[in-house]
Amino acid sequence: MAKVLTRVELNGVVNDVWVEVPENEPAAWPKQAELAVLGKPLPRVDGPDKVSGRAKYTHDVNLSHMLWMKFFRSPYPHARITSLDTSRAEALPGVKRVYTYENTPDISWYANRSKLFDTTLRFVGDEVAAVVAVDEHIAADALPLIDVEYEEMPYVLDAETALSPDAPAIHEGGPQDAPGARNLQGGRPSLYTRGDVEKGFAEADFVIEHTFRSPCQVHACLETHCSVAAWQGDKLTVWDSTQAVHPVRESLAQILNIPIANIRVICLYSGGGFGSKLWINKYTVLAALAARDLGRPVKVTLDREEDALAMGNRPANVMTIRAGCKRDGTLTALTLKNIGSVGAYNAGAGVGTPLREVYRCPNVSTEESNVYINADVARPHRAPGHVQGTWGLEQVLDILAEKCGLDPLDFRLRNYSDTDQVRNLPYSTKGLREAYEKGAEKFGWRDRTARQALSRGPKKRGFGLATQIWGGAGGPPGYAVVNLYSDGTAAVFSGGQDIGSATRTSMLQVAAEELGLPADKLSIVMGDTQGTPYGFVSGGSRTTPSQAPAVRMAAAEVKGQLLELAGKQMNLPAQRLSTREGYVFDTQNPSTRKPIAEVTKELQFGFGTGDRVQNMLIGKGWRGPNPADVSVNSWGAQFAEVEVDIETGEIRVLRIVAAHEAGRLVNPLTASSQIEGGVIQGLGFALFEERVLNNASGRMVNANLHDYKIPTMKDIPEIESVLIDLPDARANSVGVKGLGEPPIIPTPGAIANAVADALGVRVFETPMTPQRVLEALEKGLVLRAQPEEGRRA
Amino acid sequence: MIPASFEYFAPRSLEEALQLLAHHGTEAKLLAGGHSLLPMMKLRLATPRTLIDLGRIRGLSYIREDGGRISIGAMTTHAEVESSELLRRRAPLLPETAAEIGDVQVRNRGTLGGSLAHADPAADYPAALLALDAECVLTSQKGTRTVVAKDFFVDMLTTALQAGEILTEVRFAADSPRTGSAYRKLHHPASGFAIVGVAARLTLDATGKGSAVSVGITGVAPKPYRATGVERGLLGQTLDAKRIAEASAQATRGVEPLSDLQASARYRAAMAAVFTRRALAAALGRAQKQG
Ligand SMILES: Cc1cc2nc3c(=O)[nH]c(=O)nc-3n(C[C@H](O)[C@H](O)[C@H](O)COP(=O)(O)OP(=O)(O)OC[C@H]3O[C@@H](n4cnc5c(N)ncnc54)[C@H](O)[C@@H]3O)c2cc1C
Repeated sequence: MAKVLTRVELNGVVNDVWVEVPENEPAAWPKQAELAVLGKPLPRVDGPDKVSGRAKYTHDVNLSHMLWMKFFRSPYPHARITSLDTSRAEALPGVKRVYTYENTPDISWYANRSKLFDTTLRFVGDEVAAVVAVDEHIAADALPLIDVEYEEMPYVLDAETALSPDAPAIHEGGPQDAPGARNLQGGRPSLYTRGDVEKGFAEADFVIEHTFRSPCQVHACLETHCSVAAWQGDKLTVWDSTQAVHPVRESLAQILNIPIANIRVICLYSGGGFGSKLWINKYTVLAALAARDLGRPVKVTLDREEDALAMGNRPANVMTIRAGCKRDGTLTALTLKNIGSVGAYNAGAGVGTPLREVYRCPNVSTEESNVYINADVARPHRAPGHVQGTWGLEQVLDILAEKCGLDPLDFRLRNYSDTDQVRNLPYSTKGLREAYEKGAEKFGWRDRTARQALSRGPKKRGFGLATQIWGGAGGPPGYAVVNLYSDGTAAVFSGGQDIGSATRTSMLQVAAEELGLPADKLSIVMGDTQGTPYGFVSGGSRTTPSQAPAVRMAAAEVKGQLLELAGKQMNLPAQRLSTREGYVFDTQNPSTRKPIAEVTKELQFGFGTGDRVQNMLIGKGWRGPNPADVSVNSWGAQFAEVEVDIETGEIRVLRIVAAHEAGRLVNPLTASSQIEGGVIQGLGFALFEERVLNNASGRMVNANLHDYKIPTMKDIPEIESVLIDLPDARANSVGVKGLGEPPIIPTPGAIANAVADALGVRVFETPMTPQRVLEALEKGLVLRAQPEEGRRA
Repeated sequence: MIPASFEYFAPRSLEEALQLLAHHGTEAKLLAGGHSLLPMMKLRLATPRTLIDLGRIRGLSYIREDGGRISIGAMTTHAEVESSELLRRRAPLLPETAAEIGDVQVRNRGTLGGSLAHADPAADYPAALLALDAECVLTSQKGTRTVVAKDFFVDMLTTALQAGEILTEVRFAADSPRTGSAYRKLHHPASGFAIVGVAARLTLDATGKGSAVSVGITGVAPKPYRATGVERGLLGQTLDAKRIAEASAQATRGVEPLSDLQASARYRAAMAAVFTRRALAAALGRAQKQG
């Protein structure tokens, strides 16, 4: 079989990976194909389990004789442990053992920069010790009995200060300590240039520059991080609240030095991950070690505070964007300087993709610095970088549009790009124009001024829009197996997980479509390494475009076998047969047909009947390469209507119209849910969410859901989804692209633009709190009245 | 998020509760709706050795009127206050305030007595009680005493309650004719607590002048207060929007506003003026409707 290198993107990071080219992969369905199951509003197959409480989440797993683990975490942002005494804690009745760097193996962590338990602590929340006790209460009681002495070290909490030459070094002796590169991850910023930006600015009639600040946002998954580990002899079972059952299994095998085949990792249902659960965590390793050591299952559930302190975040960014355009609105140059805080260890804080890719612009440069600070390490957070980057970029677009006297939508259409300018490739498909048109129509964008009159007293209405790009191609690896049984029912075993985005339902639809079976004749297993083939992480909007083609290929192989079987029974060549709605039929004479369940009867187990050798049909599929000659992206545009109280600064988002294109529409119900979830989370970024660190202590002062506000029911506006169904035959055999992240991306930018429209001033910092809105109003940053300092003759 | 262990009692009568309270002294805490106490215990900000649950005691939950005086039992829930027909007719400020507390779950569990005894500087009721000139009835084994609202709130999370005392009742006068009231608040974005909460009650004389004006403000200072500067600016005056706006500028006179994550002192002060104006304007409109 042929092997090729193919480009695979995950969370903005592009890698080339080897993949076998499938020989028998079915061809993409034609655009106009009438499909029976795909594209239909099938309710979630696991919906009843979830709403009835039958669904078992990791937190629900309780085993007999189970012990509980709790963490003691660093109270200091930067310190060295000088002495550690666990004897008082271990003397507490019910405490089984306390684990520290003194009695655990030397397991390297954070890309070899640290260990499972390090004696140098680099952020508040860094793990110092783990107590295991007979119940959670005793474990909690034991924590204050651990005696630790520290040598406190100087610390730095924000990226701009961390870059200054006299800032304390967070890691000693790396390239990041070079002059001018203090605390700079990798020792230098990452650079991108195309064209000649100086020339571009010289050609511009208008040039503007603004600095946008977005703070650190934590993931705030409703289900906090959690694992349960249990051994049976040398076999380990781990229930983990993760987005990566298979990768977690591989990591456990490596770290514990035991065979992959001896480990089972299970996560059937997920209470949210959003990128914070893409890989193995310390607590999972420790639960496994302790369970082996103590001979009993061990459960560890982090509380809300620990989740906020140590389980990742969207980094804080300071983004300076300079942009120039001609009087007619044509962009001539864009530059970005971004300083992002990755936390105490390596992570990504780039935000430049939207600026480099969304709009046509010949002259672009970006300079992005990932900077260490003494705070928790960033992790991918739903559409990493894109949310912040888009929020800044889209405001710049509106400011320029206003200078040109153009409607924001027309300004964007003027700068519409038909090619991927970074890779010099055409797009496989691009439904953005349609998203603009249909979204604007649904929103009433063109006659929004009539609605402006709805402003009442101090409450001013405003309207704004923003555009979104996302990778969305998915790619290998991803595997699936489909079994067809003798009663005509089928089971799908798919890699990847359903992390709440209805993947079970969509995969089942793909298999049902290919097999020609009604959806209720299928069942599906995902999220258990025992019984499912390998799948990579469920994140980066990759699950559907990665797994769906694998599932389809597996189903197609089964269908081929089914048609062979039916051909013999019906005395017709298999090539003439196909399946539909539970029947095998003759394509040349569709009235000749036989129920699939009748065909498969021959598979029933019995002794000595005929020459039958099979009892079920098995098909195997995997994800092939991505196309090399096109770029595959998901697109969208959102429109926001807001009301701002100019006396209090309170912003109320009244309505969001979200128009998105992600290839073939698999299921309008679940696509709309995905969009609603994204919009709600984007609204949190725009209006509420901000990790606040106390400068005097380095501690997070709002590590709870009272002081760290996320949107709840009463904040949520009317959300109308506009689903653009545009099967992408080049992307993969199912024609799908990712929709997990896209809907969060444009929401903050659309809201920010609507707020500026309502007020006539801009808030250059998220979250746009009432206080900041009033401050902006006071400063009177009225853009309309700004001197035209950038204007050229 | 796990409370320390504690002993639990569920007395059936007030006498029994008072006895337990006297016996266990400062180690004991009373438990009403639990919606302030339990969160504190889960965070281990409170670690009482003993809980005395008032929930099984009959006769601490009622709303009555007697000769123009309204009395409310301490264990009356926010939801009961919010939906009381009697109060809606005779002292609508209190149900209007109750309706603004937290969410449905909080209102179904939380009690008037618990809220007042807890004396959270961002709690809603205190503003209304001040505007209503209410008095609190405190009961101990020694007997009962009454304390006017103004003296009941001593400081942040501190009241006039002494060791061994239970707050059993709240009393105040029902509205007189040509009285209008309103409660207006800036909600904490997550809990709904008052960043600023203003309760206003005013009575007009036959000529449209303010014959009684009271403004209670919560959320702004360590303890709720009467905005006497505002009241003085309106008493005996012909009330209109302009005069109300002018007087409202005095909302934080003599007070040092709190500063926290949600609102700086400066922002709080500005909002105190805005919400005082809004509450007074609404109260005036209602008083005028009664013609
Ligand atoms: C999510 C959430 C949102 C909330 N939002 C708001 C809001 O918007 N506005 C608001 O005002 N409040 C709000 N609250 C607080 C709520 O109103 C509480 O119910 C109230 O403050 C306390 O009343 P309780 O009956 O629950 O008292 P408990 O929590 O049981 O007790 C509180 C304290 O009072 C003492 N105590 C109770 N009863 C008596 C008594 N009869 N005599 C003497 N001492 C007593 C207890 O010992 C304890 O110290 C919120 C609470 C939550 C959890």
